[in-house]
Amino acid sequence: MMKRGDYTTIDVPESAARSSSSKEKAPAMVAAAPVPRPTGWNKGLAIFDLILRISAIVAALAAAASMGTSEETLPFFTQFFQFQAGYDDIPTFQFFVIAMAIVGGYLVLSLPFSIVCMVRPHAAGPRLLLLISDLVALTLTTAAGAAAAAMSYLAHNGNPNANWLPFCQQFGDFCQKATGAVVGSFIAAVLLSVMVLISTVALRRV
Amino acid sequence: MKAGAALDVGGASKMPTTGISRGVSALGFILRVLAFICTLGSAIAMGTTNETLPFFTRFIRFRAEYDDLPTFTFFVAANGVVSGYLILSLPFSIFHIMRSAAQNSRIVLVIFDTIMLALLTAGASASAAIVYLAHKGNTKTNWFAICQQFNSFCKRISGSLIGSFGGILLFILIILLAAIALSRR
Repeated sequence: MMKRGDYTTIDVPESAARSSSSKEKAPAMVAAAPVPRPTGWNKGLAIFDLILRISAIVAALAAAASMGTSEETLPFFTQFFQFQAGYDDIPTFQFFVIAMAIVGGYLVLSLPFSIVCMVRPHAAGPRLLLLISDLVALTLTTAAGAAAAAMSYLAHNGNPNANWLPFCQQFGDFCQKATGAVVGSFIAAVLLSVMVLISTVALRRV
Repeated sequence: MKAGAALDVGGASKMPTTGISRGVSALGFILRVLAFICTLGSAIAMGTTNETLPFFTRFIRFRAEYDDLPTFTFFVAANGVVSGYLILSLPFSIFHIMRSAAQNSRIVLVIFDTIMLALLTAGASASAAIVYLAHKGNTKTNWFAICQQFNSFCKRISGSLIGSFGGILLFILIILLAAIALSRR
């Protein structure tokens, strides 16, 4: 040790082996610096994400199918009207069916990306892509579900201020199927939001 | 000495990453302020609608307010909650600009941002459905289009939807930027 003024220099003795093979030694020291990252958390999150994705596929497609097959024809008729109700009588329900079908199709197509994230737990690219597209799907699902819920509320209760009468009393089956479909879409929205959170937490450990 | 030189090189390569991360956080803060303005404007625009037609009969009242339709009440409440949340989350956003390495607080903010996004989307799309019904009516269910009588009420409620949907778009970008900042570390 040499003391010079107010600081101290410590001489590290260079061994002969080190001076001859210094070029191989230096990269090995730099390469040994990063601590090996644990893969357990990310892989578990990816598996959970895959399970949630499959459940969300079931929920979204069930909602679309329930609303799409919700046609009802009343057993009586007059000379002018046949009392029929279908999802295509109300544009909001049309939007609901199309949106849930799109979300269900997207979730099926995103299964390979989820498997890739499971196989490579430390890749940031697929995770980020999954996050972006899950966010868009969440927005679409929530929009479709909320709009159809507003329509269902109106169908059940009506609105005296706007002179809109409820029709659920007459078309009971149609109303039941439509409301059930709305519930399915809310389940899909909750699952999608949990998937977004999983992707965020997994990005932290990438 | 050689080990020290290697460590210096490692330290210098961290600087651009911190700069980009700080820029991403700053952009997130700006978007947060914009989203606050959008949602607050929507809530106020919907909440202050009030139109009374100059004539009346014995049976029907010719007055339209936002709380005549429960969906619009939900819309005003949702936009109010979201704009209040955005104001409260501004200090956290500033903290993230200053300290780019904060990870857990970013995740907490993303969780709340996702919840608020869902709430805002629900309110906006439900009232969009009702506004569409008010404009077009529905002949199959015998629902009359009220926009034909209440013109300025209709214009007001249609305009307030714009701010809400803009807020939804900004929220998506905010969550995206937070995720990018998380993955860069």
